[in-house]
Amino acid sequence: MGFSAGDAEDLAQDVFVTFLETLERFEGRSEVGTWLFGILHYKAQARRRAQTREDLTDAVDDVFDGRFNADGSWREPPIPADRLVASDQTAEALRDCLARLPDQHREVFQLRQLEELSAADVSRMLGCTINHVGVMFHRARVRLRACLEAKGWGRSR
Amino acid sequence: MMTCKEVSTLVSMGDVERAPMMRRMGVWLHVAMCRHCRAFRRQLVRIGRVASLISEVFEREPTANFEDQILDHLRS
Repeated sequence: MGFSAGDAEDLAQDVFVTFLETLERFEGRSEVGTWLFGILHYKAQARRRAQTREDLTDAVDDVFDGRFNADGSWREPPIPADRLVASDQTAEALRDCLARLPDQHREVFQLRQLEELSAADVSRMLGCTINHVGVMFHRARVRLRACLEAKGWGRSR
Repeated sequence: MMTCKEVSTLVSMGDVERAPMMRRMGVWLHVAMCRHCRAFRRQLVRIGRVASLISEVFEREPTANFEDQILDHLRS
């Protein structure tokens, strides 16, 4: 459903707690599974709305903006790929940087970059707009680049 | 003419393919002429390739006691 492992466990717990709390209102007109999925749908939507609200502003936007001059030209140009530090430790560094991403950014990075899903597909999965998927993908990449550079990845030989 | 910031943002958001034809051409022309934006794009590609190699980091399986946790909730 597009949630991180931690969020999914929280969500499952939340669903069952609500199920037990509202059990006396269950009249048996539908299957128990249907009742549970109804609660799950409601809880998942509420969680996504909360996460989307949290994402309206992000400090990492300043990191990206800081790379450019007022006229939109590069202030700190990226190091050409062929001059990057040897990538022996890049995988390990990236693994660490990925673990540091906010859950939803990591989720979008996974779906867009690795699963190669379209922004439209991801927006349907996560219940947010296509533009917001793009914003989260961008922020994930900015965070990864900043994290890798802090580990020495972006410095020239 | 698009600025480096506009082009890099669009590339980083993965929105180039979805952009109108004229905007896509603007990105293509800019990247063809700007070595910094080419470098930026190649960095993103390289990050993506390395991420693919270590994608097992994303594998998510339920925790070992996940079923027990659900049963405990039902029993309590």
